[in-house]
Amino acid sequence: MTESSGPQHPAVDRDSAAWWAALARHELVFQRCGQCATWRWPARAMCNGCGSFGWGWFPASGRGVITSWIVNHHSFLPGVPAPYVVLSVRMDEQADLVLPGAYDGPPDDPALEIGAPVRVGFSDLLGEPPAALLRWSIIQSTA
Amino acid sequence: MTRHGSGLRDRTAIAGVGWTEYSRNSGVSTLTLALRAVTAALDDAGLRLSDVDGVACHRVGDSVQAVLVAQALGVEDLRYHLDMFGGGGTSHQVVAHAAMAVASGMAETVVCWRAVNARSEFRMGGTGRPAPDALEFQYQLPYGYATPPQQYAMLARAWMHARGATSEDLGRVAVTQREHALLSPRAMMRRSLTMDDYLAARFIAEPLRLNDCCLETDAAVAVVVTSAERARALAKPPVLIAGAATGGGHTLFSNGRADPTVSAAADLAPRLYAAAGIGPDDIDIAELYDAFTFLVPLQLEDYGLVTRGETGGFYADGHAGLKGRLPVNTHGGHLSEGYVHGLNHVAEAASQLRGEAGDRQVPGATVALTTGQPGYVGGTSSALILRREESA
Repeated sequence: MTESSGPQHPAVDRDSAAWWAALARHELVFQRCGQCATWRWPARAMCNGCGSFGWGWFPASGRGVITSWIVNHHSFLPGVPAPYVVLSVRMDEQADLVLPGAYDGPPDDPALEIGAPVRVGFSDLLGEPPAALLRWSIIQSTA
Repeated sequence: MTRHGSGLRDRTAIAGVGWTEYSRNSGVSTLTLALRAVTAALDDAGLRLSDVDGVACHRVGDSVQAVLVAQALGVEDLRYHLDMFGGGGTSHQVVAHAAMAVASGMAETVVCWRAVNARSEFRMGGTGRPAPDALEFQYQLPYGYATPPQQYAMLARAWMHARGATSEDLGRVAVTQREHALLSPRAMMRRSLTMDDYLAARFIAEPLRLNDCCLETDAAVAVVVTSAERARALAKPPVLIAGAATGGGHTLFSNGRADPTVSAAADLAPRLYAAAGIGPDDIDIAELYDAFTFLVPLQLEDYGLVTRGETGGFYADGHAGLKGRLPVNTHGGHLSEGYVHGLNHVAEAASQLRGEAGDRQVPGATVALTTGQPGYVGGTSSALILRREESA
């Protein structure tokens, strides 16, 4: 990995490798228990609902709602210039499936609101290996 | 058999308390800080180095190993050793475990401390330190999202939204605690803070402003835990450990905690009160973990001290002040006394219960609730109820 501008690559572990590989292909997937069908994230071998070690990867709806967001007023980490937003998103699949991610919009966007529906998007990281991050956008109401 | 932890009730005590100076640059190692605080606490208790047979601390890769402190203290037969990985959520577990070790007879005198050069060497909010040894950081760091002010800003907005809390509500926490700190010779912050100052200060991670965030501090604080029986024979009035409880917390790992606005302390609190045989109405003072302002009203709710949604009025009416109904963070807390990762809350509670808190003394304080971080990010929470023994 070269010293690049742009965000750091994730520190992938043995449980999470498949999830990050899917993200690099612009696919959002989650594990789902083979026994009780509970969703879980981040990746791990055992269901914390029923204790089963049986599971599979399933594509996610890619939709959720904003549970919170922050506006960072200085650059906390190299490669991410301020100001920038980080969102916390609750997936439609399950109430305790909550993911952080970047926001596809300006930091002072008046559309940012707790409860606003969002759709997943992806942004590729520079350099190798191929990797992508989550970048959420607000679903505009069509009413 | 479940006894809600009441098997520990009043069997152990805090017999001594010690502090180093609080500073922005101690100029010494965390080993030196730990040794200074521990020996001060032993002196305070009227105990000798040779009395120590147990050691306990928490750290996050930012301080000296507990065993090296034991060796430096000259403990030859180390009967109890706890070197816990963790942040503020584990702070009160350290004291609870020391109490369990003493109550079980494994050890007789356990010193507990937190020693850190959090300003000059290992800034929690800094960018220069390696990512903590925690799996979840891989999902956060690439977004430029990893430091405590950011993680707690995320929680703060959710909590404020749910309760209808305003910036002014958080500001009153900061202003109240600064008033307390101004009465403490130990406190880092020596200048008054007004609401205008609070609101005019820059955002760190919106919605949190500068004075919503605690002070990264170089310091160590130690307490000595021994049996209640032995403590009664020592120099200072014993501060009984009436109850202790540990709880879980919120992490990214989907674990059934979908609502970030109610902390794991809400689950821990009933067990803690049952363990102590003491209820929320009996609490005279509360030293509540305050790495960030909003955690204080959040815990007032979750420990059943103030009705959910009414903490803004509680502060506006002065009830959290030293002359209020329930003085909160009487030392100024992490926001204004200094950030010693939870241990300074235990020490302040002990000082108040002994009547040694000087200008900030709450008259007649008999029962104290003191808490660790209520389970966010790190995933565990902990708290103690301490009480002064009624004189015979």
